[in-house]
Amino acid sequence: MLLVKDSMTREIVTLSPDETAGTALALCRERRIRHLPVLKEGRLVGIVSDRDLRSSTPALGDQGRAAALQEILVEDVMARDVLTTLPDDPIEHAANVMREERIGCLPVVESGELVGIVTSSDVMAALVYLIGAHEPGSRMEIALPDRPGSLAGAAGVFGMCGINIVSAAMGPTREPSEEGGIKERVVVFRVDTINTSEVIGYLEEAGYSVLWPPKP
Amino acid sequence: VAAEAVSGRAAIVHDLALENYGFGGDHPFNPLRVRLALELCETLGLLEDHPFVSSEPATDEDLTTVHSLTYVRIVQKAGRSLSSLADLLDYGLGTPDNPVFPDMHEACARVVGGVIEACRLVMDGDATHAMCISGGLHHALRSRASGFCVYNDAGVAISRLKEEHPGIRIAYVDTDAHHGDGVQWMFYSDPDVLTVSMHESGRYLFPGTGGVDERGRDGGVGYSVNVPLEPYTYDGSWISCFEALVPEALRAFAPDVILSQNGCDGHRLDPLTHLSATTRFYEHVPNRMHDLAHELCEGRWVATGGGGYDIWRVVPRAWTALWTAVSHQELPEKVSEDWLSKWGDKSPVKLPRLMRDDPEDYPPGPRAAEIAGRNERTVEEVLEKVLPMIR
Repeated sequence: MLLVKDSMTREIVTLSPDETAGTALALCRERRIRHLPVLKEGRLVGIVSDRDLRSSTPALGDQGRAAALQEILVEDVMARDVLTTLPDDPIEHAANVMREERIGCLPVVESGELVGIVTSSDVMAALVYLIGAHEPGSRMEIALPDRPGSLAGAAGVFGMCGINIVSAAMGPTREPSEEGGIKERVVVFRVDTINTSEVIGYLEEAGYSVLWPPKP
Repeated sequence: VAAEAVSGRAAIVHDLALENYGFGGDHPFNPLRVRLALELCETLGLLEDHPFVSSEPATDEDLTTVHSLTYVRIVQKAGRSLSSLADLLDYGLGTPDNPVFPDMHEACARVVGGVIEACRLVMDGDATHAMCISGGLHHALRSRASGFCVYNDAGVAISRLKEEHPGIRIAYVDTDAHHGDGVQWMFYSDPDVLTVSMHESGRYLFPGTGGVDERGRDGGVGYSVNVPLEPYTYDGSWISCFEALVPEALRAFAPDVILSQNGCDGHRLDPLTHLSATTRFYEHVPNRMHDLAHELCEGRWVATGGGGYDIWRVVPRAWTALWTAVSHQELPEKVSEDWLSKWGDKSPVKLPRLMRDDPEDYPPGPRAAEIAGRNERTVEEVLEKVLPMIR
């Protein structure tokens, strides 16, 4: 779960270096994509984005545009230093590379062969699924002491009430809410119930603070 | 009679068998809610000229217009205690929200049948407006019970209307505090069914969906309209959002019939939600649905109930107000003495004596202006991004 191979697109639209900028832009438009890996004899040699293509060709309405689109080749525009990822890399690794390098996609390469592409939209989709936001549920945030057994304890309260947990995501430590207290972690649960009032009561009784839904 | 010539005849579809739908013990969805509402109508004399119209239970063919046959079979078995808990959980049954109860299939099929009958009365011209207060089980999904809802009465009724009246355009307007997700997903790609849901934002409340960006798919883009409201939204803000959006959406769509889900769990006293409406909102909405039905579709309007978990102080009065709008009667000022004396001792809370909440008892909270501002911006976003897609 949550590996690049679970989120990547496997049907990839590719170009060869000697195709024209016009062909490449038309592909972007038709397939509604923004990134095209460039292959030469089956090997990844570059990548072009629709932005690269646009900025290196005359603007729409320019008289020289049609000719330029036929003259400029993909290899003139493409980035040659392509960052890639592995199918078995965790999705957070790919996300972090894209974030740090400020790029929108990573070709997925295994044993020298291009097997997929992962984009920032794929990472967003993974987040939505991770949080279970596509399934009915109530969102709850609970502050837990940063100690062994805290998560199990809170989760156990849902279990005791017969409420199924759709997803759980725990955040980094933060300062204690009370002076001299224990550091805390906030966990976001999505739980399959319309009626959270009873379980909120039990959680608070057990000493957990429920941060969400917020009180008036 | 003269008033009826203008406003049309009203019908109420009900039967004691419809009150078998609900969950026992301390479950918030208690069938007593329907009994309390109808007895309040009755003791106020609001049912005198309106005998209950009875209905047949929905058939398996009806139910499978929107539910899978596998799911219907599971519900049938569950109601006869023939299923193991492990099997049920995959279908959202046997949980604290949707516990199994004896003959649950029959009870819920009755509710669906009631709403189908209400639609039939209106489409055949036997009534101009019809109400089936047990309906409004808007969370039920194709193969899953959800949020106290086993079968989706509006979903089935809308599908049946589409089959029987090819080309019909149906507007579904849902003012329950929870997003009308089940109905929305059933018609998410369908441009002949407009679903409008105003609800507490999914950030704070089940089922978590119903954002502005959920506006339909494929040919149905623009035909799912969602207005997620801030917690603690009060009457004034909710009513102005309703007025800014619902009439315009319905006029753009031009329905042949309007189906409204009138859950009343957005009331300040409701234990399950964080909205702050009062009876003013629950009197306003049905009156406007009535007027819009006359303006747009010769009065054809079917009203159902929905959520509402303050079953003593809120549900009876809100749904009596709904019935007075459906049946063109004045909303009485006072709760009837007969009702109070029958139920006063049984109620765990002090029963209100007036049909309308006193605004003095519900002063706007300290963040009222901020909440209203946020809701206004949400409505603007819907007006800008969703409504122009309606053809």
